[in-house]
Amino acid sequence: MLDAARPRVGGHRVRAAAVRLRRFASVGGEVLRNPTTLAGVTIIVAMVGMALLAPVLTEPNVPDPYQMPRDWGALNEPPGTPDHLLGTTQHGGDVLYGIIWGSRTSLRLSLIVVSVTVAIGVIVGSLAGFLGGRVDEVLMRIVDVFLSIPELIFALAIAAVLGPSFGNIILALAAVFWVKYARIIRGQVIHVKQNDYVDAARVIGDSRLNIFVKDVLPNSITPVAVQATLDMGNVVLIGAALSFIGLAEAGLAEWGVLVSQGQAGISAGRWWASTFPGLMVFLWALAFNLVGDGLRDVLDPRTERR
Amino acid sequence: MQIRDYVLRRLIILPILIVGTSIVVFALSRVGGSPIGIYLSHEMTQEEVAQLEERFHLNEPLPVQYVYWAAGVLRGDLGWSGVAAAPVTQVFPQKLAATLELAIAAGLVAVALGIMLGTYGGARRDRLADHLVRVFSISGAAMPIFWLGILLLIVFWVNLGWAPIGRSDAALYRRIAHPTNLYTVDALMAGDLRAFFDALRHLALPAVTLGYGTTAIITRMMRSSLVEELNEDYVDAARAKGLPERIVLRRHARRNALIPTVTVIGLSFGFLLQGTIVVEIIFRWPGLGRWMADAVLRGDQATIMAYVLFTSVLFLVVNLIVDVMYAYLDRRVVLGT
Repeated sequence: MLDAARPRVGGHRVRAAAVRLRRFASVGGEVLRNPTTLAGVTIIVAMVGMALLAPVLTEPNVPDPYQMPRDWGALNEPPGTPDHLLGTTQHGGDVLYGIIWGSRTSLRLSLIVVSVTVAIGVIVGSLAGFLGGRVDEVLMRIVDVFLSIPELIFALAIAAVLGPSFGNIILALAAVFWVKYARIIRGQVIHVKQNDYVDAARVIGDSRLNIFVKDVLPNSITPVAVQATLDMGNVVLIGAALSFIGLAEAGLAEWGVLVSQGQAGISAGRWWASTFPGLMVFLWALAFNLVGDGLRDVLDPRTERR
Repeated sequence: MQIRDYVLRRLIILPILIVGTSIVVFALSRVGGSPIGIYLSHEMTQEEVAQLEERFHLNEPLPVQYVYWAAGVLRGDLGWSGVAAAPVTQVFPQKLAATLELAIAAGLVAVALGIMLGTYGGARRDRLADHLVRVFSISGAAMPIFWLGILLLIVFWVNLGWAPIGRSDAALYRRIAHPTNLYTVDALMAGDLRAFFDALRHLALPAVTLGYGTTAIITRMMRSSLVEELNEDYVDAARAKGLPERIVLRRHARRNALIPTVTVIGLSFGFLLQGTIVVEIIFRWPGLGRWMADAVLRGDQATIMAYVLFTSVLFLVVNLIVDVMYAYLDRRVVLGT
C-alpha cells in the first residue's frame, strides 16, 4: 500500500520521512480536488473555527460558559428578534449561543473520544497481533462481544449505569468506539509480521517496539485515519442522541439537549429551538462523513471512486 | 473452507458470543451496585433486608449471582420492571409487537425505496438524477434521526395536520380485538378498514423517520454495485445480442447487484433497531425502545438488562443468517477466518 514510503531497515529514515511528507501533501491535494470533500472540509473549518472562537463570538455565560444563559425577559422569542438572531428557548436561552458553545462541546467530545479510542485500539490490537495465540483469541472474542451490541444501545446502557451527565456520555462512547481500531491494528500487525523485511529486522536485532513504530504504525495510519475521521462525526451523532434521550445535564449548551428541549414547543408553532441545533448535528456528521469518504477514495485504491 | 464448515463454525461461536454478551450485560448492571434497592422500603428492619438478600441470592459472590440470573433468564424470569410496574416478561410481548410493527414497516419502506433509488441513480450514472441520489444517500449516514422526526412532525403534524401522533385512535383501538398487537394486522383480521387506515396513518411518519438512514445505506450499495455490474462483460454481451436496455438492466445487472445489497440490508438491521429508541420517544410509540429510554432515565435495571440482552441476541442471529445467506449467494466470498 505504502511501499514507496516504507522505511527500510537501518538508515534512509530521513529520506523515508521526506517521501512520506511529500505523499501526504499530494494526498491532501488530491482529496481537495473532489468537490464533495472540499465542501466537507469547508464545513469542518467553519465549525471548528466557531468552536475555537466561541468566547469572542458571544459573551461567555458566567460562571459556566457551557451552561445556557437564561434571559427570563425573553422566553420563546422567534428568530430575528434583536439580540436573539435565532430566537430563544422556553427557558429564555439564546439558541445562537447554544449553537456556538455547542460546537465547542461537540469538538471536545469528539476529540476526547476519538483520541482515547484510537489509543485503546492501538494497544489492544497490537497486543493481540504481536502476542498471537491465546491472548489474541481472548482479545478478539471480547472484540466480537462488543461488536454484537449495537453502538447506541451499548453506550446507552453504560451511560445509564454511570448516571446522567455529559462526562459519562464521553466515557460510554469511549468504551464502545475502540473496537474497530483494535481490529484494524491487529490486522495490520499480522500482515506486517508476514513480510520478509520484518524477519530481516528481527535478525539484525530490532525489538518488537521498533518494528511496531517503524513498520506497523506507518502502515496502519491510512485505515485508522479514515475511521477516525468518520468517527469524529459519528461520535457527535450518537452523543447528541444520548443527550436527546436525556442523559446529559438539562441546561447544557449541547445540540442534542437543545433539540430535546425544543421538542415541547413545536405543537405551539415554535419550530426554531429544535430545528437549528439539530441542523448543526447533521452538518457536523455530514462534513466528517464527506471527508472520511474522500480520504478513503484517495488512500485506498481498492475501493472505486463512487 | 466448505460452506457447511463455515456455517458450523459460526453456529459454534454464536452461543459463546451470547454468553459473552450476557456477562457484559450482567457486569454492567452490577457496576451501579446491588439491585436490592428496588425491593426496600423505609420500614424494613436489618433482618428483613438480610432475608431479602438471601431470597434473591444477593449475598452470594458475583459469579454465583450471575449463574442464578442466567438460569432465571433461561427459565423466562427477567425480573421486575419498575417502569412498567409488572414483571418484564409480562410486558415484553406487547411492547415487542409495537416495535416490530414499526421496524418492519420501516424496513419495507427502506428496501423498496432503496432498491428503486439505487437502480435509478446507478443506471443514470453521473447525470443530474444520479447526483441527487448520491446526495441523498450520503446524507443518510449523517442524519440525526431525532432531528428528522421532529422536522417531519413540524411539517406534517403541526402545520399540515395530516399525520397524528401515537399509535392509534383510542376509539378505533377499542373497536377491534388485538390478538397479534400488530395494529395493522389486527385491523385486517377484524375486517375493519377504518381501523386499518388509522393504524397506517399513525405508522407512516415514524416508519419513514426510522427507515431514512437504512434507505440511504441500501440506495448507496445498490447504486455502486449496479454501476459495477453494468461495466461487466456479460452486460455488453446481453446488449450485443439485441436485448432492450430495460431488460438488460432488470433481468441481468440488477439481479447481480442485489447480492451485495442483501448483505447491507441485513447489516443495517442493527441501525434500525437502535433507531427505534429515539423514534419511539418522538412519536410516543409504546414499544420496547421508549420503554428502554424510560428505564434508563429511572434506573430500572431489569428492563435495561432484558432489552440489551434481547436486542444483541437478535442482532447476532440476524447477522449470522445474513452472512450464511451471502455465502450461499456469492460463492466467490472468501470463507476464511
